[in-house]
Amino acid sequence: MAEALSPARARRAPARREALQAAAFVAPFAIAYLVLFIYPTLKLIQLSFTNAPLIGDGKWVGWANYARLLRDHLFIQSVYHTVYFVALTVLPTTLLGLAIALMVVRLSGWLRSIVLACFFLPYILPVTVVTLIWQWVLDLQFGIAQPLLRLFGGSGVAVFKSAAWAMPMVAFVTIWWTNGFNVLLFIAGLRNIPPDYYAAAALDGAGRMAQFRHITWPLIWPVTALVLTIQLILQLKIFDQIYLLTQGGPFNSTYVVVQYIYRQAFVLNHGGYGATVALFLFAIIVAFSVLQYQVLRTRDVP
Amino acid sequence: MTRWRRPDELLLTLLALLSAGLWAFPLYWAVVTTLKPEYEVVAPGIRLWPQTFTFGAYAYVLANTNIARWYLNSFATAGAVTVLVIGMSAGCGYAISQLRFPLRRLLFGLILASFMVPLQALIVTHFVLMNDFGLINSWGGVVLPQLIVPVVVIVYKQFFDSIPREFREAALMDGASELRLFTQVFLPMNWGVTTALAIITFIGAWNAFLWPFLVASTDRAMTVTVGIVQVHDSFGVQYARNLAGAVMAAMPVALAYLIFQRRVTEAIALSAGIKG
Amino acid sequence: MRTTRLLAAIAAGFVMSCAASAFAADKTHVVWWDFLSGGDGIRMKAMIGKFNAESPDIQIDATTLEWGTPYYTKVQTSAAVGQGPDVMTYHLSRMPLGVASGVLRPFTDQDLASVGLSANDYFPSDWDAAHVDGKLYGVPLDIHSIILYYNKDVLGKAGLLDAAGLPKGLDGIANFNTALQKLTGGATQYGVSFATGDNSGATNWRIFYTLLNQMGGTLMDGDKVLDGSNEQKAVKATEAIADWVKQGWAPKNTDYPASIALFTSGKAAMHINGVWEVPTMVDLAKNHKLGFAWGAVQIPTLFDHQATWADSHSFAIPARKGNPVPAEKVAAVMKVIAWMNRNSIMWASAGHIPAYRPVTESAAFRDMQPNATYAALAKTAVFDPRSKIAGVASPVYDACNNFVQPAINGQMGAADAISQMKSQLESDLQ
Repeated sequence: MAEALSPARARRAPARREALQAAAFVAPFAIAYLVLFIYPTLKLIQLSFTNAPLIGDGKWVGWANYARLLRDHLFIQSVYHTVYFVALTVLPTTLLGLAIALMVVRLSGWLRSIVLACFFLPYILPVTVVTLIWQWVLDLQFGIAQPLLRLFGGSGVAVFKSAAWAMPMVAFVTIWWTNGFNVLLFIAGLRNIPPDYYAAAALDGAGRMAQFRHITWPLIWPVTALVLTIQLILQLKIFDQIYLLTQGGPFNSTYVVVQYIYRQAFVLNHGGYGATVALFLFAIIVAFSVLQYQVLRTRDVP
Repeated sequence: MTRWRRPDELLLTLLALLSAGLWAFPLYWAVVTTLKPEYEVVAPGIRLWPQTFTFGAYAYVLANTNIARWYLNSFATAGAVTVLVIGMSAGCGYAISQLRFPLRRLLFGLILASFMVPLQALIVTHFVLMNDFGLINSWGGVVLPQLIVPVVVIVYKQFFDSIPREFREAALMDGASELRLFTQVFLPMNWGVTTALAIITFIGAWNAFLWPFLVASTDRAMTVTVGIVQVHDSFGVQYARNLAGAVMAAMPVALAYLIFQRRVTEAIALSAGIKG
Repeated sequence: MRTTRLLAAIAAGFVMSCAASAFAADKTHVVWWDFLSGGDGIRMKAMIGKFNAESPDIQIDATTLEWGTPYYTKVQTSAAVGQGPDVMTYHLSRMPLGVASGVLRPFTDQDLASVGLSANDYFPSDWDAAHVDGKLYGVPLDIHSIILYYNKDVLGKAGLLDAAGLPKGLDGIANFNTALQKLTGGATQYGVSFATGDNSGATNWRIFYTLLNQMGGTLMDGDKVLDGSNEQKAVKATEAIADWVKQGWAPKNTDYPASIALFTSGKAAMHINGVWEVPTMVDLAKNHKLGFAWGAVQIPTLFDHQATWADSHSFAIPARKGNPVPAEKVAAVMKVIAWMNRNSIMWASAGHIPAYRPVTESAAFRDMQPNATYAALAKTAVFDPRSKIAGVASPVYDACNNFVQPAINGQMGAADAISQMKSQLESDLQ
């Protein structure tokens, strides 16, 4: 049958068929992607040039929202607080994740399952559950952690009401909640290191520290870089824990960018200006995602 | 075990056990609190086990909130998100991996670029869009914006890539259609991946806070994750009740994890691009 | 796929149960939102249940949302998308703000007349507070305020009770402070507890505003915030409260539930909170969980004259954009509102003073305890400033939360806090 057709047509007909079939497979995702991602992104850009309320049309105001952004005290503060939160979480959670992974990976059998489950279980809990638990554990009057805090500070501390304590404690709760994820990635990475390396090093008389410095650290570095970038992007989007633990207080000292989007668009009904703040966050995250992609690519992982 | 004989090894193991216990202690403490009567909860001193054992806090939550309705909403929306995300992404990943079509590279490039879609930045326009669709305060409104999970497409593409061409060619020779090839050859080969991704997608949708919190304001569509803090008592002594609600909200995902422990850990390594 | 089948089964079951309930009752459904929980919530649920049982043609479908900013944010976004309830509870303090943001539908004279309600049924102060620009936007249900709860056993031993079991020697800030000192330490850890670290800042606002008004001060006068000597009075009020915390007479940074628990567990001799916590005490005492005899009186006169902060719950109809509440629903809503008002003796058992005068002036209410003991506070009650930046979950509450609250807890100087609050509110007004 193929001989009856010219070679070019023979190639083209199945190609068209294949393209049609591919379209059928791709369509559901592609349509959802267009409607629920591309369109909202374009709409966000358009809204940012208007003074629209949350629902309904507004007037074109040019760059006014952007100019306002630069003068907006609470916005600038919320950017600063977001950066502060990122600084408090990203590096500590990465190092802690590695430390715990090193501790877990040398265990085996049921011991390992139990220890890993203890570290991982918080990660699969809803954020509201996590914050309710910690509000109770840290409660000033009845919290079981207060005697511990008294040991350090002399008196009890209402951690989410104190400007000095609030953000570090939100970061602490976040690390407790999400650290299991990093532990898993590190364990996966550690298991990819061939055991022979350690055996050889041990024969050469290398101690535990030397083994870590010369074998583990260089070989685990790609995973470390991956965890760092994932955490960086994740923590920039902080909202839930802040909203549930401090509401941005005390005296706005924990106000963050996503909360500011929520406040402008939903509480104050300033859809246009809220969109401008959102676009700012969007641009930052896209920039960091590109960075992450580079990290992934240099790692040469399929 | 021989290596336990070395004292530093034993010490490290004990350290691991101790820190794991400390790490999980807040979970234990929360559960124990829910089993005490409220007056014992605020009584002075630390009691690691209830003096008076009671399910009163649970009974109160069941009787005074619509938690059954929230459960239904959570199961329906998280279930729908899971089925749709897996279905759409597997199909798309299959086409990108196995079929040749125009714009294929562009599509995959876009998906890679939106690896970490900042849904938080799109809350304003998602709300506007869901209002245009008339879906505010409905299951559909909760579900739709959660459907964009590009990483699932990427994982599927990688797995389909790793299946040798011979399988495909042999099946095509037998006259199998693409749909049959996809549903009866490629998907079954990756059943483990699909279950792992499905479980983690379900947990993610069950746990989602910001979007369901914005779009659902009444019991009609409110999920249990949002419900336990939205409609909580702002008045009265209430610690045990609050935590009882929390325990009930966490139960399904905690059980899912404990049952499918291995699958969950596998899925996390997969979605980050590391093979465990 | 098993999951899909399961989902389909759940969905089918749900659709059928909805259909069943819709067919079962051939009643007009009124969608109702409130923010009432705790003791308030229990009483209101009972009232709704009674209404639903009695009414032949109307069914209330009630939802309770979280009090404060979360509630009013939901109300606003729902109205903007043409959704939301047919009737909702709304604080009178927030009426100017609600009207300015366009979420409220005014009541007409016909609405009121249809169920036989009129201005004469309400106290003038309440009725005026429900109006903005001459239009009525809410039908008041109650007047509520803060009161002083006290532990009779502890105050008795300290010689602070009179023969009738009422506190004595608490008037005047110096006397009050002496009493606090006497009550701190020993049997009780604190002289008085209140939610110094309330998430919404509401408790501190209520006490601050009470003391400010006892000095004759006002927060806002038109576009002027804390004008002239008012600023000094505000500083003095803040300092007075901050002093209780500083001296250790009141607990620092304490959450709402914890502040109550301190009193009910016997660790605080007195407690300042809203009348709505009366049922909490009543229920605990009834079940013998309290361990002491309790009472409640109006806030003592600490400064020049008696005055107490007050607010009022009212019923309002939202202005749902593009989907206004239809006429037949409005008619049903009016019947609901009238019923709630006429049966508000039930609501009074949640500690409130009913707004509907025929009930307030009835013998049943006059005999109700402890309400009768503090009902006199209504005569000297002061409502929040009448401004579109005031009321529950307003910029004024935010400012109190951000400035007065840290000052009370010793994290900021009182003078500094008040001056920052003043400039914040001035910029909010623009």
